[in-house]
Amino acid sequence: MFLVDARITGKRLVARDMYVITMHAPPIASTVLPGQFVNIGWSPGPMLRRPFSVYRVDGERIEIVLKAVGVGTAQLLSMTQGDRVSCLGPLGHGFEFGAGPRSAVLVSGGLGVASMTLAARQAASLGIRVTWVHGARTKEDLCSESDGDDLIWATDDGSKGVKGTAVAAAPDADLVLACGPNRMLAAVAARWPEAQVAVETYMGCGTGVCLGCAVPLKRGGYDRACREGPVYRASDIDWATLPSHLSYAATP
Amino acid sequence: MSVDVGALTLRGPILAASGTFGYGTEVPLLERRALGGMVSKGIFLRPRSGTPPPRIVETPSGMLNAIGLQGPGVEALIRDYAPKWAEWDFPVFVNINGESAAEYAELTARLDGVPGVAGFEINISCPNVEQGGLYFGNDPRAAAAVTDAVRKRTRLPVWVKLTPMVSDIGVIARAVEAAGADALCAINTFVGMSIDLNVYQPRLSFRTGGLSGPAIRPLAVHLAHQAARAVRIPVIGIGGIATAEDALEFLVAGCTAVQVGTATFVNPRAIAEVHDGIAAFLGARGLSSPADLPRYLPRD
Repeated sequence: MFLVDARITGKRLVARDMYVITMHAPPIASTVLPGQFVNIGWSPGPMLRRPFSVYRVDGERIEIVLKAVGVGTAQLLSMTQGDRVSCLGPLGHGFEFGAGPRSAVLVSGGLGVASMTLAARQAASLGIRVTWVHGARTKEDLCSESDGDDLIWATDDGSKGVKGTAVAAAPDADLVLACGPNRMLAAVAARWPEAQVAVETYMGCGTGVCLGCAVPLKRGGYDRACREGPVYRASDIDWATLPSHLSYAATP
Repeated sequence: MSVDVGALTLRGPILAASGTFGYGTEVPLLERRALGGMVSKGIFLRPRSGTPPPRIVETPSGMLNAIGLQGPGVEALIRDYAPKWAEWDFPVFVNINGESAAEYAELTARLDGVPGVAGFEINISCPNVEQGGLYFGNDPRAAAAVTDAVRKRTRLPVWVKLTPMVSDIGVIARAVEAAGADALCAINTFVGMSIDLNVYQPRLSFRTGGLSGPAIRPLAVHLAHQAARAVRIPVIGIGGIATAEDALEFLVAGCTAVQVGTATFVNPRAIAEVHDGIAAFLGARGLSSPADLPRYLPRD
């Protein structure tokens, strides 16, 4: 785990209101694994850091994906090249590829693309054939970037690709990895209990001490999205108790 | 930088606050040299699973938490963590919790003498099942009864962490001092609430939570000061400390030491920065120790 004063090196639009931000964070870039995240703070900004999956690694740089949803993300998006953020990571337990899967399907919804690119590249490097199924509300909300051998689009309104959800549009495979709204992940769990899913929770410290990012488990009790997670076996989670809708408080 | 908290000498005036440091074994990028001591995550006799999510929500300059004192119970603490504490070069206090005075007493008796346990911080912000769920910390008699129950079962230092949710903190402070507390920790979190306007419901599943962070600092400085004026035993200041200047405010207001909590979530180097900042402040003014700071502590 590293605490890096990271210089922002770029920003690009990849879907409606959705941006990729690139920052210079060499020790994180060289150690991050698919499904892991960074906890980012900036000033002036909210008190708590905000967690972001690492979307891609490019040399000494890492990339994150964000949408302008609140005051905090708007502040982050208003930063320009050369501005600095405090980047803590890599954090959490990511995707596992095990021994011998020959095919993988990656299911992402909306911002869920954030943890998929690294996973797709890792799978490809292991000789696994990757099908990426990406869902969003409309054509404009689909991420313009993708990876993998085959690509399937799904939109709620049918404006691009298959009409319907990404889960419904996805084929079966040896390995299923998913990231998106918790409601979508619950659907993944219903179809593929063995799938690995990256959940979303509120987060405090990001390092395992505050116990704020509790994930309810089917066997009872809770563990921490920031340490044991954010990636879980889908059938291990008590989906009825995991909040399906998070809305960050305004934090001027 | 050493300070005396009663008979106990700490090598520095900063401790890690309970609930923000786990059991000290998982803290990232820890700079131990800056720690005068540590207070463990609150523990009960038995394991507790805690409250359902959402457990935390950010608020302006602060956060609300309702973790529900999730923890493995005292036996796991003794087995898994105390042996590590015994090897550390700073004291670890155990934050103890119970639903009755008898439970606090049993917990103390179990932990007393365990290598690695340097003392106790009593969390009196727990509901007392024998008094219909009334919080120990809101009633001077109940607060004193718990303090007395713990005091009788150990010769280690006993600190009492006061709740701010009272009309006169001096009354509680004097009651636990009389019951044998060695020091007071002031203060615990304020109870607060935040509403999600999308669903017309509280953001926390527990409805309410404890407010911490810089938002509470002026309130905490005042209450720690009030407590310090009320008693002769040392007061350890807590509440929204993120910088050396914040900590110095508590020290000048009458505290002997401080605890840093929520700030470490934001800045893993917070404790080291507070420590080094205090040292620089003292050095620049020719003061050799925190005890040499002028105190604003009128006695009336």
